[in-house]
Amino acid sequence: MQVPNSFKLALLKQMLLGFQLSAVSSNSMSFHERKNAIKLSADAAMVFARGSTRWTRGLVASLSKNRNNEDLLRGILGKKYERLSLPCCNSWKIPRSRKILKRCLGLCSRRKKATGTQHDVKSSSTLARRLVKKRIQVLKKLLPGGDSMEGFSLLDQTLDYAVSLKAQVDVMRRLLKISKASNLNK
Amino acid sequence: MSSRRSRVSEEEINRLVSKLQSLLPETRQRGAGRASAAKLLKETCNYIRSLNRDVDDLSDRLSAIMATMDSSSAEAEMVRSLLRS
Repeated sequence: MQVPNSFKLALLKQMLLGFQLSAVSSNSMSFHERKNAIKLSADAAMVFARGSTRWTRGLVASLSKNRNNEDLLRGILGKKYERLSLPCCNSWKIPRSRKILKRCLGLCSRRKKATGTQHDVKSSSTLARRLVKKRIQVLKKLLPGGDSMEGFSLLDQTLDYAVSLKAQVDVMRRLLKISKASNLNK
Repeated sequence: MSSRRSRVSEEEINRLVSKLQSLLPETRQRGAGRASAAKLLKETCNYIRSLNRDVDDLSDRLSAIMATMDSSSAEAEMVRSLLRS
């Protein structure tokens, strides 16, 4: 799965805007200040390119927690900032999607009662279910805004986020490559 | 509860799961069938973590190089290069 070129272009443009706004090429910044400005620019640019969805709103919420970030966020997101700052509403579909997801992942036990001889089968599927539950908790922490998501939404947003992150990495990598080349040409 | 509605959703979920699998570097290589839910989740988490590490590492390297760069000409060059691809 890939994002369209227009996504990467928008990401690059806003990221460069972020660099300009935070004056990354000035000498007055420390290495860490510059790095943070770069990272923040990259994240805000990714949000801008993706538009409004649950994980982008989650990411804006967590980036906004640091007051120092507000100016740069507003500068990069422009008019989109207000819309992206709206709190996430909980989907009414949550209970059903969680059940359907679990069924598809083969996690629901079809038997209501288990006899003694079923003991081994039951414990291995119980373990599987517990492991999956644990890993879902981990995923929820990795995904921006993940805490309020369940089932289908969680996986769907995860895919969306991973694809966008990959694009962010690609753009940054390309930028680094070009920067090195242009530096050598001076 | 309409069973027809759930069947459509199951298709959606299967589609979603296979999209995820094709994205993940390890499960993509598997020839045989479908990864377990636990494995899928583990590799998804690992993938996201590794992408985050890449972003962090690239930020470090960009920070080192940006210090010595003239940003206005480099920007133009970069945008041109991306438009070319």
